[in-house]
Amino acid sequence: MTDQTPVLRIQNIEKSYGDNKVLKGVSLELNRGGIKVIIGPSGGGKSTLLHCINFLVGLDEGRIYLNGKEIVHTRKRELTAYRQKVGMIFQDFNLFDHLNALHNVLIGPVRVKKIPKSEATERAVAELERVGLRDHMTKYPAELSGGQKQRVSIARALAMDPEVMLLDEPTSALDPELIGEVHEVIRDLALGGMTMLLVTHEVGFASSLADEIFFMEDGKIVEQGPPQKILFNAECDRTREFCSKIGRLHNNSS
Amino acid sequence: MLQGFIVISENLPYILGGISVTLTVVVGALVLGLSLGIVLSVAQVYGNRVVQRTVGVYVWFFRGIPLLVLLFLFYFGILANLQIDLSPFIVSIIVLGLISSAYQSQIIRGAILSLPEGQLKAARSIGMSDARAIVFVILPQAIRLSIPGWTNEYTIILKDSAVTYALGVTEILARSRHVAERTYQHFWIYILAGCIFLLLTYIGTKLFQILEEKVRTPGYTQ
Repeated sequence: MTDQTPVLRIQNIEKSYGDNKVLKGVSLELNRGGIKVIIGPSGGGKSTLLHCINFLVGLDEGRIYLNGKEIVHTRKRELTAYRQKVGMIFQDFNLFDHLNALHNVLIGPVRVKKIPKSEATERAVAELERVGLRDHMTKYPAELSGGQKQRVSIARALAMDPEVMLLDEPTSALDPELIGEVHEVIRDLALGGMTMLLVTHEVGFASSLADEIFFMEDGKIVEQGPPQKILFNAECDRTREFCSKIGRLHNNSS
Repeated sequence: MLQGFIVISENLPYILGGISVTLTVVVGALVLGLSLGIVLSVAQVYGNRVVQRTVGVYVWFFRGIPLLVLLFLFYFGILANLQIDLSPFIVSIIVLGLISSAYQSQIIRGAILSLPEGQLKAARSIGMSDARAIVFVILPQAIRLSIPGWTNEYTIILKDSAVTYALGVTEILARSRHVAERTYQHFWIYILAGCIFLLLTYIGTKLFQILEEKVRTPGYTQ
């Protein structure tokens, strides 16, 4: 394995719900330390794509490679090993509601990786500290704000030592005031060299982090390129129209 | 009336002795019903079509046949033919437990289905196998949600347990009947039996309430 091997390569993913084809052959590659952002209108298949990459939604067609090795998702052990390497952050957090923040982070290392509890606790505390929640470890999800919940979910993913993180609109369910704290955590991850694939509508944030932006609509990647090009100088009319609209929104609200 | 009180006071220890028999049958049936109910509910929610069908038939069978018929069928029919020698007491626990498992499986199934889909997705996303996700993420939540349903199930089994007197289990009703037929104080004796059941219902319901409060996840209002 050389450094040129993409950490994650997905090839020609297709997915239909009944007659509705939501993914029409999507391919992309993530290099180590790379940060790619997917933007595009709702219903364009962005979220489905991320769920497909983690096999949380079954794909109809396509192949997925981690470090050059194709993942055969029907082999249970291979699938769970793969998912440990690919962290997933959900739009609506999906914390385990019956566990406090610490145990949400702990459950993966203890129950999946079989790490001794004391060692895992040390690690979990460190991850919670990293996302700024050391003082909230004993709180339950219902006692945390949205921003805090999302940070716990990031800590939960990090505790599994992922090689890639998939973030599905991590801030779109949050109050505007709480977006900043989550962005800060993601930015720290980026600075730490984490490989990420991020779906977001926050174009300002996206352009400051991404080395490449994909514009996705109607189940396809319509255009891709560096942030400045996609956001301000896109070749495709539809990309330009979308970016100018959300750009205006972004400017007006900031 | 005085006669009634005299009979009651003379026979009270004997009748009250039936409480431990009744409660053993009820608790035994609840525990058996819970263990089987968990397995059945998981099978029905996550199993393939054949498994789901099988559970469906099981539930239909045990919910559809009257308790007394099942008691006679098992005790005089099946076990006698197979020449298996089990006491009426044990047979009662098993039959009530099997029936309860059918009802409890539906309580737990409802609780599982009420959980957000994201819980299983999140568990899978950190690399949990489905089996682990069910044990560590789904069931702990579903079982908490099932407690109000169990309270109901307890009161039903408690009352159903009286039917086991027909096999000769010496629970509260059977003992009351012995006394009533010997003393002809039917009215007072059955008032007493009714009161004992009411009291057991009250205490059991309270205990379930305390349990519900104890295992409640903080921050959740229910």
